[in-house]
Amino acid sequence: MPGRVLKLPLLLLPLSLLLMSCLTSGCGKQEQRAQNGVIVLDFWNGFTGPDGKTMEKIVDAFNKEHKNVKVRMQIIPWGTYYDKVTLGLAYGKAPDVFILHTDRLPEYADSEALNCIDDLVRLGGLQPKDFMPRAWSAARWKGHQYAIPLDCHPIGLYYNVDLFKKAGIVDDKGKAKPPRNLTEFVEAAKKLTVDRNKDGRPEQWGFAFTWLRTNAHTFLAQYGTGWISRDLKHSDLTSPNARKAFSLMTRFIYQDKICPAPEGQDAWVGFRTGKVAMALEGIYMLTSVEEQAGLHFAGAPCPQFGPVPAVWGGSHLMAMPAKISPERRSAAWTFIKYLSDHSLEWARGGQVPVRKSILASAEFRRLKVQYEFSKKLPHVVYLPQSVATNQVLPFCDACVEAILNRIKPMDEALSEAARRINHVLERS
Amino acid sequence: MKAWNRNKYAAGFLIPYFSLFAVFVVAPIVYGFFISLHKWYILSPHPTFVGFANYRAALKDDLFRIALLRTGYFVLMVVPIGNALSLLLAVSLNQGYRGTTIYKVCYYLPVLTSVSVVAIVWRWLLSSEFGIVNYYLRLLGLRSINWLSDTKTAMPSIALLSIWWGAGGNMLVYLAGLKNIPRELLEAAEIDGASPGQRFRSVTIPLLRPTILFCLVMSVIASSQVFGQTYILTGGGPYYSTLTVILYMYQQGFGLYQLGYGAAVGYLLFAVVLVFTLLQFKLLPFRRL
Amino acid sequence: MRRIRSQSKVISIKAIIAQLGMALGAVIMLAPIAWMLSTSLKHESAVLSAVPHWIPNPPTLENYISLFTQTKDFPVFRWLANSIFVSSSVTFLVLLVTSCAAYAFARLEFKGRECLFMVVIATMIIPSQVVLIPVFLIVQKLGWFNSYFGLIVPGLASGFGVFLLRQFFLTIPVEFEEAAYMDGASPISIYSRIVLPLAKPALATLAIFTFIGSWNDFAWPLIITNDISLRTLPIGIMIFQGRYTQEFGLTMAAAGVCTIPIIIAFLVFQRRITEGIAMTGLKG
Repeated sequence: MPGRVLKLPLLLLPLSLLLMSCLTSGCGKQEQRAQNGVIVLDFWNGFTGPDGKTMEKIVDAFNKEHKNVKVRMQIIPWGTYYDKVTLGLAYGKAPDVFILHTDRLPEYADSEALNCIDDLVRLGGLQPKDFMPRAWSAARWKGHQYAIPLDCHPIGLYYNVDLFKKAGIVDDKGKAKPPRNLTEFVEAAKKLTVDRNKDGRPEQWGFAFTWLRTNAHTFLAQYGTGWISRDLKHSDLTSPNARKAFSLMTRFIYQDKICPAPEGQDAWVGFRTGKVAMALEGIYMLTSVEEQAGLHFAGAPCPQFGPVPAVWGGSHLMAMPAKISPERRSAAWTFIKYLSDHSLEWARGGQVPVRKSILASAEFRRLKVQYEFSKKLPHVVYLPQSVATNQVLPFCDACVEAILNRIKPMDEALSEAARRINHVLERS
Repeated sequence: MKAWNRNKYAAGFLIPYFSLFAVFVVAPIVYGFFISLHKWYILSPHPTFVGFANYRAALKDDLFRIALLRTGYFVLMVVPIGNALSLLLAVSLNQGYRGTTIYKVCYYLPVLTSVSVVAIVWRWLLSSEFGIVNYYLRLLGLRSINWLSDTKTAMPSIALLSIWWGAGGNMLVYLAGLKNIPRELLEAAEIDGASPGQRFRSVTIPLLRPTILFCLVMSVIASSQVFGQTYILTGGGPYYSTLTVILYMYQQGFGLYQLGYGAAVGYLLFAVVLVFTLLQFKLLPFRRL
Repeated sequence: MRRIRSQSKVISIKAIIAQLGMALGAVIMLAPIAWMLSTSLKHESAVLSAVPHWIPNPPTLENYISLFTQTKDFPVFRWLANSIFVSSSVTFLVLLVTSCAAYAFARLEFKGRECLFMVVIATMIIPSQVVLIPVFLIVQKLGWFNSYFGLIVPGLASGFGVFLLRQFFLTIPVEFEEAAYMDGASPISIYSRIVLPLAKPALATLAIFTFIGSWNDFAWPLIITNDISLRTLPIGIMIFQGRYTQEFGLTMAAAGVCTIPIIIAFLVFQRRITEGIAMTGLKG
């Protein structure tokens, strides 16, 4: 018995070595990045849904049209995406082109991990003036350009056309009329909240909060405030305007009773299945509802709840790592320009381009929901662009959840979050 | 034996182990402290020396304090109850009833699972909608409990499953300790008219003191570092109610890549545990027989 | 006579209650694992039935089959191979390295022996999770991030192993070795040809503990691997907490794959484990 025990690990060792060699034989291909004059670029993004398929088509088209440059795309789910990008940038195995969100740009740019592309922009091929100004400046840090914005995904109003018609919320032509301001919104939502058996739990809700972070950000922006002050030095959550924004959101739930408390709700599924009549979500959710059989929906610009015209928006930026060889850099630049020039195809997958020329084109106007959402593009307010944004967002999320679900009194939640945000900002 | 050139041979036998020891046990302790004195984001071109600023910041950080308290709660739940359970199991195994070996295997089986298996299985057991625990509660006429999503029950649930997971480990140690108690002493006490309870208190426990001290010390060290269960099951939530220090360290060091701050958080825990361990040695003296 | 009879009656009632208690305890301890196995052997539709059945009716291996065939989504076979490879390597190397050191502590005399041994023991008290960040950075500097070396080498300096084996070596009668020394043998040959074979029980115990510990290790493989193809089973199966979280049958099968090999190994070698603990003389 004892002899057998000792021999077991010894036996397993060579067996598993054999196994390993068989399984790792496919590892060599990563090293071949330049074969016979063709540069192979590694392109990373997190587009795991239908948008990934759209991007795949664009990449395939690029590969067909270009003889000396080939792009190899790798899709990494957003959950682990930034881990891989950070570790890749830190330890030298970075991709040649990668997507990042505007709130991560300062962090990477400040650490000199991104390639400064001022010279490439100056050389031409892309006109800065052709870009929506807010999107263009979101890709800048401390006076230098570090990325090119591919798109903008603002938040907008998705509404169920059938439910609107049933509730009689129509214009004089009988078309469903989406609300444009707070009064119209509450009025419509009240008509759309139906509790047939009067048990206090409506079967149909006029509205529901989906992604709390973007919804809350929009309300804060419309009251002229935000998570962090404009100078990025301290949190604004304890300001009177922030209180007004959150009071309005809680009013919808607990006084107007037009939307449920978000806890345990899958609000987006509710919208897709016709149990929720209106939702504020990003343009990227478009394919999700287009695929829903039997759902007649439409898109409208986000209503004006507060005094300031503002909506949450995000942008996917295209960047290169700081350490990259000159040939790969120019090849990557060619690819980036190609993606930007083809942002209409990208828009078809549920995005809004940021090139003014494309936005003005007739083909874009034919994309109805994207076109509606794009009307708010000049009013897009991004998440704060601080090196510490990634660190403070969890506090913001927890704060919204705590307030909307009445886990904590509003003032306590706000001051707690503000305290934690300030603490991190101090540390940075 | 003594005529051998001891140092030469000893070196040969010791070098493999101690080179690994130096690089992977000693060096990290020193290097870790060094890191904690710097502001170091993984991508920054050069880390900046900041002295004890990270430690000061951590002590002011209310999330660190929350994590420390939650970890303390966890340790205070798991160590006494867990050890009491292990001792109980060991005592019952020591009685020598039929089927002891089978029982021993059953009690030890949970120890053999990885923390990710424990988490996956217990998430399924405690699922609010589909979990079997809530099913039996409803059968008894009670309401289902949102075990892992309610701030009041999340940490107790994690403590409970951790006790289940670890009881078998210390049980074997206690069993070995019980077996080493000379039968003559117990028999002498029985002849003197001591009841089983009195025998347990006056003979068994005192002789078991070294074992108990060992188990308590190791349990405190192990449970203060709780990570896997909270990382997988709740991620520190809901609302930071299950945030433990090592989880917070992981979030800082490997989530946000703030290496200096993360290291400082870890070393603060190290200091607290060290003090606690020394206290245990002082307060629970063990007498060698 | 009567007194003895009533005494034995009392004793037997106590014994019955005690044994019932022990049986109940065993059921409680086994229940979660049993439920895991039961769920893994059910059709997905049966898993979420309103009334849970402990015995799957009908039992099916389809979850395990999906687990091993859908390799694109989750390369379970690869993770299993990784776990076997890493755990075997760690076990073999730990045995090698710690037995040499333990022999030196037990039999060879050198300056600072006691002191050095105390240092080794002291490090058993150091919380290993606290130094995750510096170990990660050191391993990365060695170029071993996301590699098998990174998975295997850092855990090899096991203080427990040195402790356990030294205790055991001390119990081997010195006469065996002295006889060989008289014949002019070197310490190396005495060690390998006399001491090691005698130490098989202790080596076996250490091997089992090390193998199980390495197999179940979570925090370190989580940090040091980045590629999904390099992950060991405990880390790999975490993927089922994300996308497949509602597919409980599949998830439980994954948990099963991670656990069943270890349970089998344990059942085969369980005597060694108890003996091993007794050997360390932890009573005092």
